[in-house]
Amino acid sequence: MLRRLPLVALTGAALVLSACSGGTDAATPDPTDTAANADKTVTMWVAGGDTPDELRTYLTDTFKERTGATLAIEEQSWGDLIPKLTTALPDADNTPDVVEVGNTQSPTFTNVGAFMDLTDMYDELGGDKLLQSFVEAGSVDDTKYALPYYFGSRYMFVRKDLWKEAGVAEPTSLDEFNSAVATIAQDNPRDIKNFSGFFIGGQDWRNGISWIFANGGDLAKKENGQWVSTLADPSSVKGLEQLQKIYQDASQAPADAKDQSPWLYINDSDTITDDNGEAAGKTSLAAATIMAPGWAHWSIGELAEKDGEQVREWDDSTFGVFPLPGTDGNPAPVFAGGSNIAVSAQTKNPELAKELMRIIFSEEYQKMLGGAGLGPANSDYVSSLGDDEFAQALIDSASNSKLTPAAPGWAAVESALVLEEFFGKIRDAKDLTALAQEYDAKITPMLNAQ
Amino acid sequence: MRRHRTSRVLLSVLALVVSLVWAFPVYWMLNSAFLPNVVLQSTTPTFVPFGGSLRNFSAVVDDPAFLRALGVSLVVTLTTVVAAIVVAFFGALAISRFRFRGRSSFVLALLLIQMLPAEGLFIAQYKMMSSLGLLNHALGLAVLYTAAVVPFTIWMLRGFVAGVPAELEEAAMVDGLSRTQAFLRITFPLLAPGLVASGVYAFLQAWNEFTVALVVMTAEDSRTLPLWLRGFVQASATRETDWGQVMAASTLVAVPVIVFFLVVQGRMSSGLVGGAVKG
Amino acid sequence: MSSRSSRRLPYLLTLPTLVLLLAALGYPVAWQLVTSLRRYGLMQQFGAPAPWVGVDNYVALVTDPSLWTVVVRSVVFCVVTALVSVVVGGLIALLMDAVPRWARLVLQVCLLVAWAMPIVAAMTVWVWLVDWRRGVLNWLLVEVGVESAYGHNWLAQPTSFFVIASAIVVWMSVPFIALSVYAGLTQLSPDVLEAAQLDGAGWFRRLRHIVLPLVAPVISIVLLLQLIWDLRVFTQIKILQDAGSVASETDLLGTYVYRLGTGTGDFGTASAVSVLMLVLTIALSWYYVRSLMAQES
Repeated sequence: MLRRLPLVALTGAALVLSACSGGTDAATPDPTDTAANADKTVTMWVAGGDTPDELRTYLTDTFKERTGATLAIEEQSWGDLIPKLTTALPDADNTPDVVEVGNTQSPTFTNVGAFMDLTDMYDELGGDKLLQSFVEAGSVDDTKYALPYYFGSRYMFVRKDLWKEAGVAEPTSLDEFNSAVATIAQDNPRDIKNFSGFFIGGQDWRNGISWIFANGGDLAKKENGQWVSTLADPSSVKGLEQLQKIYQDASQAPADAKDQSPWLYINDSDTITDDNGEAAGKTSLAAATIMAPGWAHWSIGELAEKDGEQVREWDDSTFGVFPLPGTDGNPAPVFAGGSNIAVSAQTKNPELAKELMRIIFSEEYQKMLGGAGLGPANSDYVSSLGDDEFAQALIDSASNSKLTPAAPGWAAVESALVLEEFFGKIRDAKDLTALAQEYDAKITPMLNAQ
Repeated sequence: MRRHRTSRVLLSVLALVVSLVWAFPVYWMLNSAFLPNVVLQSTTPTFVPFGGSLRNFSAVVDDPAFLRALGVSLVVTLTTVVAAIVVAFFGALAISRFRFRGRSSFVLALLLIQMLPAEGLFIAQYKMMSSLGLLNHALGLAVLYTAAVVPFTIWMLRGFVAGVPAELEEAAMVDGLSRTQAFLRITFPLLAPGLVASGVYAFLQAWNEFTVALVVMTAEDSRTLPLWLRGFVQASATRETDWGQVMAASTLVAVPVIVFFLVVQGRMSSGLVGGAVKG
Repeated sequence: MSSRSSRRLPYLLTLPTLVLLLAALGYPVAWQLVTSLRRYGLMQQFGAPAPWVGVDNYVALVTDPSLWTVVVRSVVFCVVTALVSVVVGGLIALLMDAVPRWARLVLQVCLLVAWAMPIVAAMTVWVWLVDWRRGVLNWLLVEVGVESAYGHNWLAQPTSFFVIASAIVVWMSVPFIALSVYAGLTQLSPDVLEAAQLDGAGWFRRLRHIVLPLVAPVISIVLLLQLIWDLRVFTQIKILQDAGSVASETDLLGTYVYRLGTGTGDFGTASAVSVLMLVLTIALSWYYVRSLMAQES
């Protein structure tokens, strides 16, 4: 066993060596010297299949053209991203140079020095025009480590037909929304079993926190350099009370449902036909409203045949979208989904990696993101999302979007599924404040742990 | 006699019911592989894939990553199977044919090693493979897999080795065969079921494993089939998983194992932990 | 063949195994032991020095009641699941022995096919089958008249969560057990059984006094392996947790270690749990290991 121990020393030495060569190199290599870069390869990890193929091709082609070096884009699946980054990022020999990371996962890595300091190129890449909640999630105090890659904030998808049958109009304030969905659930215009006016899973905290945010509450705040969980603050509790009423009166979702595939509940899935081929009316429709990230509209609609395959086709007369209204006439602050992008601190090609960042934050690429339905990082280019109702709802809801706290231990809170547990207990809680205090006590120490 | 026949019929019916329970999830995978995603989301189950298509399968096979992963998996699995059989055979020979100092510690170690919990080892495994330059290397992964299956395969094989009387070999040697010849002509054929059974075990483990592979096979083109399958399941945060395709992909991953099983089936069931019976 | 070389032979034969195990497991296991004695979090993983803390990680663990809840839960789950698996597997093996050839073949093929199913696929299918909304289980229950099963969520309550989890693990383990025990049964001499039958011994008595003692070695090794494997069960629980349930109420040791390590980045404590888990497995199976070792010498 002892025979293997020198490996540790070896790896350690490699780390030190590469750190030196990165830091003391006087003549910074020119990233655009195409001949000198010809045999270099920069690796970029993208998470999941969310970056479409055309965008990947654009990146590799442009990178080759600009630098002469090869860009290898490798896709890592979302579920395995954290363990893979944990092992590969500190390994100078095998680290990816540029990585995409979930926006709320960023603090885990920024706080331990996994990423290269990008403060000096922050303005060049867009500066204040970049989505600030994401920039904040990727910063430690004023040092910028991870920058926004794309976003998609959450808004409401409704069955216009059901809202109309229940005689309820589109709400203009949070209170109106809360009572509207309860009315629809009680009215249940089509007598559907287990029908929800608004389907929100018991453990679906990513949507549920909108009610905390909308009432001026927050998940945590930094006090005297320490993070403190604030679920039991009066404004947070006010939001939780409204949410509790929704769970009790408007939603039939199970207490342990999360935010996966909520569109199943507002789609008409199957129509049972009787002997005469007439629809006998049994469908899987179970909700009038859901809340989901903007890209959910790709999965919502009437069944249609396209190239011989059954797909969903959005239909304006049945379905509609609007941002969750806030308490002040503006859209409510909602949780924004999406990714950040960063350069590994151990990269052997810092200049090339930075050049790749320039390409990603270029006007052309930002517009391509928008064209693919992903909210671009730079607010100058959000118009590239188009001017349909989805783009509108996305831009409106993002205008006021928020993220989870940039605390070093945030990822620990998420992976321990503490919030899932807390939200799952809201519906049946007798004393919400006590419940919130109980979970504040659990979360606060986790937030500051490294 | 009559009672005897009725009970045989009843038992056969029971056997069919049990078969159904074990086969149903497999059938469900196959069934879903032919159906489009929207049908799979319906609240009323579709039991027979009428109106289904091979579309899911063709989508999977057209993915160049599938063939690449198939290649990696074949290399890793076959290397593991061969290496495990050879190494385990030597080990089994040692503990069943010889009494030597340290023998019982060796046997005990084989048992205890199987109790090591694996979930906490991944950082160390990564560090080790990285410093040896074996990340993304099919052979490196095969070494880890072989080490994982060898303790159990030795255990399986020892009974078979013990079951072949050493006198047989000696008799052959008296007839003028060398020790090696005697071994190859007499002992080896008798061991075949045991070797097949351990081979199957090693094959199954190496073919389906994904936690270790996840850690040491980081590059996209060195992924094994289970990793590729997993990537397929969690393809995207922005679009829905196409479950029909996932099931088609799963079916394709399972087919080589099933074929392999059916080929060696006759020999295997007689070989399966025959070792323990005789041990 | 000199006597010296034949004395060396067994060591030469064990050499490949030893080298292989040392190469593949030596460093990781040593790392785990060492790490369990240090403060080792993400900071340390990214290069910060890892201070020695002695047995602090262990002390923190054994004084944390939540660990003991998980331990008790895991042991109960493991023992129940392993016993059920072995009993069901053994009964199926007897069934295989008793039915005509064609029925045995059908049964064997079905078991093999189930065994061959990739775990990701098997779990996906099982999650579908027990889904609260579109699962076949609830659909079937409603069809046979259990109206309250409509929309029932099996994973929400820890008790039914573990029943489902246990059923899945049993389903996955039984093929191996049934085929092994059946292999053991085929080794029994039919003469002995026939003689017993002629003596008028009933089915149950024959099973208890003749069959069971003869297949006991197979059963004991299979049970030992099941105990070891079921205590470490991870993938099935993780995937079921992702599908529903309250994680902290359904954690078993495997998911607990994973959550500490990968989730919170506390590798020091996670390593300590792993070491404790090893000790626990050894303790749990000590009786068996000792009796197996006694047969050895």
